[in-house]
Amino acid sequence: MRGRWLNLDSPVLGNIFNMDLSWRKEGYRSRLLVLAVVFGWCLGSVRCFGQSQDSEFTFLLQAGKSECFFQTAAKNGTMEVEYQVIAGAGMDVDFTIISPTNIRLIIESRRSDGVHVVEPTEEGDYQICFDNSFSRFSEKMVFFEIIIESQGGDVGGDEEWAGLEEPDGSLLEYKLEDIRESMESLHRRLERSRQMQTVLRAFEARDRNLLEDNLWRVSFWSCASVLVMLCVAFTQVYTVRKLFDDRRRVCT
Amino acid sequence: MGLRGTCFLLQSYLVLAAAMYFDLGEQEEKCIIEEIPEDMLVTGYFLLEPWDSKPFTHSPHLGVTVTVRDPDHEVLMSKRYGKFSKFTFTAHASGQHYLCFQTNSTRFSVFAGEKLRLHLDVQMGEHSINPKADRTKDNMETLENSLRHLTDQMMYIMRQQEYQREKEETFRQISEDTNSKVLWWAVVQTSILLSVGFWQMKRLKDFFIAKKLV
Repeated sequence: MRGRWLNLDSPVLGNIFNMDLSWRKEGYRSRLLVLAVVFGWCLGSVRCFGQSQDSEFTFLLQAGKSECFFQTAAKNGTMEVEYQVIAGAGMDVDFTIISPTNIRLIIESRRSDGVHVVEPTEEGDYQICFDNSFSRFSEKMVFFEIIIESQGGDVGGDEEWAGLEEPDGSLLEYKLEDIRESMESLHRRLERSRQMQTVLRAFEARDRNLLEDNLWRVSFWSCASVLVMLCVAFTQVYTVRKLFDDRRRVCT
Repeated sequence: MGLRGTCFLLQSYLVLAAAMYFDLGEQEEKCIIEEIPEDMLVTGYFLLEPWDSKPFTHSPHLGVTVTVRDPDHEVLMSKRYGKFSKFTFTAHASGQHYLCFQTNSTRFSVFAGEKLRLHLDVQMGEHSINPKADRTKDNMETLENSLRHLTDQMMYIMRQQEYQREKEETFRQISEDTNSKVLWWAVVQTSILLSVGFWQMKRLKDFFIAKKLV
């Protein structure tokens, strides 16, 4: 579900030092330092245009319950959250985003879909909560997608390098950089296509679920209707006959 | 475990640490639904951590049982893993697959009764992510890997689009079924209503004539 670019870029590097702190106690310090140096050097030879990650999940939210998902975000990035209710009677859910400092950024009540962008993001874990407590019986199937972009974003990959000077004598190096740069741009666009595809897929799933419900409902209520009609017909005839039977006995 | 192995594990771990996580109570099972087309290889990486991310003073024995169910609710795969691992499976039927996670940490853990957090990352398609590739070398090798990665990505998008087209056909079929069912039932109901009405009238008329009331 994500074709993630190879991940030796900046957000990961930040984590290395956190890891360093927690691993120090177990004495892996020297090995980790070597790794950090290697990664740092790799970073120098790889242009990072801003890492983009996305997660998309579909899950079943029981009636009367609430579920929270957490996403770690770096400082000054962007986070885009999109959700849709794809099945369930009523097709709506409460949605909340809570920042790492426990401020409720977005509160939505009984919506069936929504898109939100949080920018700039604070460092820490964002809480994304779906609440179905207003519904007593119907469980909802909710699809959501979180797209995290760290600093740098995915804007203008072409313009960024327009000012790149062609170094003398290293034409081959420049051509390779050129190729790599267009591939990065291609990768970003493909990522975007994939994200759009996911969204469209969610729309289709929702429509299909709705239609299957409709089909079942139509069949059920038609049968019920026919049965009721027949019952009523027989009851009417029987009642009228009964009326006259009694009267006749009374007369005699 | 050589340096490269450590590199790979470290990368997966780090990427997972930045991935999304949710809370899992002890012995609680949570399921994720994924729409997967036929014959697609799915890889899932997960990492189980205690909720408070305290440093491990005793290291509790954490384990996750991963159960994968196919669209007919039959179990496709059910395995037990440690707290940081990956699982793979190939979907044989198109449709909604259920990936369920359940912890069965032993009761010896100090964190009994507390929540655990499960970092999860599910990838689809054969990925040519090769973290062991030595990126410090050749630009050409890097380019080759990148091209392969792009090809994978495009294949994945194309596959998903085909799958989407299949589903749209099913959708259209259901739609037409519903439409014809509605029409058919309406006709049946109207005819039943009319025939029952006539039958009632006839019976009552015969009845009244028999009782010499008319």
